[in-house]
Amino acid sequence: MVNATKGLFISCDIPMAQFIINLNASLPASQKFIIHILDSTHLFVQPHVGEMIKSAIAEFRKENSFEKPT
Amino acid sequence: MPQVKIIAKNFMDMVAALPTMKLDKLYDNTFICEAILRSLPPLAKKYVLQMLYIDVPVAAKSMEEWVLPDGQSKHKVAIDRLIQLRILIESADRKKETSYKLNPKFQTNLQKHLLYGGVLPREPMPSNITVRLPSLEDLDAYALQQWECFLLQLISSEKTTNISSSMMKVFQRGLLSQRDKEGLGLSENGFQFLLMDTNAQLWYIVREYISNSEDRGVDPADLISFMLELSFHVTGEAYNINTLTDVQKSIIKDLADLGLVKLQQGRKESWFIPTKLATNLSVSLSDASSRKQGFVVVETNFRLYAYTSSKLHRKILELFSRIEYELPNLTVAAITKDTLSEAFQCEITAEQIISFLQQNAHPRVAERTPRVPENVTDQIRLWESDMNRVDMTPSYFYDEFPSKEVFEDACDFAREYGGLLWEDSKRMRLLVKAEIHMQMREHLRRQK
Repeated sequence: MVNATKGLFISCDIPMAQFIINLNASLPASQKFIIHILDSTHLFVQPHVGEMIKSAIAEFRKENSFEKPT
Repeated sequence: MPQVKIIAKNFMDMVAALPTMKLDKLYDNTFICEAILRSLPPLAKKYVLQMLYIDVPVAAKSMEEWVLPDGQSKHKVAIDRLIQLRILIESADRKKETSYKLNPKFQTNLQKHLLYGGVLPREPMPSNITVRLPSLEDLDAYALQQWECFLLQLISSEKTTNISSSMMKVFQRGLLSQRDKEGLGLSENGFQFLLMDTNAQLWYIVREYISNSEDRGVDPADLISFMLELSFHVTGEAYNINTLTDVQKSIIKDLADLGLVKLQQGRKESWFIPTKLATNLSVSLSDASSRKQGFVVVETNFRLYAYTSSKLHRKILELFSRIEYELPNLTVAAITKDTLSEAFQCEITAEQIISFLQQNAHPRVAERTPRVPENVTDQIRLWESDMNRVDMTPSYFYDEFPSKEVFEDACDFAREYGGLLWEDSKRMRLLVKAEIHMQMREHLRRQK
């Protein structure tokens, strides 16, 4: 019998995919959100973590950009 | 490209949407006929003038012969516009062929206008009564100041003019949206509005004012005719307020707040003086819009030099750049990744910012191509795409298919509905969009 799982399909570039996988690895087992790693640019994760991933990426972007001190 | 909902020409669409009787009443006024003539596309203007003295209907077929074959699309556009504004009236004769005739009222009024020139319903007042008439420069400065105050109040909700807050809310309706941290801020349309030139902004405000007028019990046709009439007055001349009807008196105060007229009081009489903003109203109806002087120089080191002292311009620049220095005639700003990411979070697109910079380029750099250095425009676009590196779609994952046929069939089904996101035929796994999950389930049940 076919099995259906609900979730979020993520499509991105390879560095971002690695970033999300790393994020997943750093969380304790109860909060791990990746259901399947489909290939190097696609992931299938639990449905409610979209916002969390977006804010983690924004944090990462902020850390990487230099702002001249005023 | 976001849908541009704010176009000055929409005013004409609003006029065209008036019911037939009201539109005919509008055509009683020769100035309105002229204003509408100005707003027509060039081919339509030609047709109107060509048919101005023809009293019998002209067959549609012969009108089509007036253009070369490759002008047919323009011909169609012109005819549609004329019919929409009820300038051309269609009639079918016995042979079931359509023919067109000019609207008789429009025709007589335009003929009169052509032969005798337009006569305003009021004369300027004699100068012995109007002692304190401002000079043209003073009037321009007054109009600009009023308009800027109005725009500032529109976008920042500081109380700088006397317009009632309910009126303000009407204007702000399309332009501001709720943003969580700061309360009311500019929406995407709001930013587009700020970037338009003054005449387009003016038309937008006028349009909102007129659409709101029905709620306040003022007939929009009266308003439209007064606005268009106002645009034919002479700038700088005083006109007695007593020549206005009651309806017009009630709106003249609002127009003064917007900077379209200046109100003055003498000892016994009071009068209004139309400013350049008002008289430009009808000029700007045609497609050619006068470009105001640009003031921004963008350099390859991402620095912005804006030769302006207006608070409004400063506020616009604040939206996407960091102001470094403010001098009496110059504002120096810098475009950085941070300021742009804040702008992108307010749903301002890179294209809007770039077109603003290009359209307002200082005359010194305006002739250079490109007006804004390519590295700046490329970097703005790159930073915008950096904001959305990850695409997320709610979806459903299917696996454990009993056989290859069922899997292939499910794949085809999903593909038909456009919901197939990803498939793996080796391990028979499938990802479909959440929207078609229900249909997919039904389909699989039916398969069993």
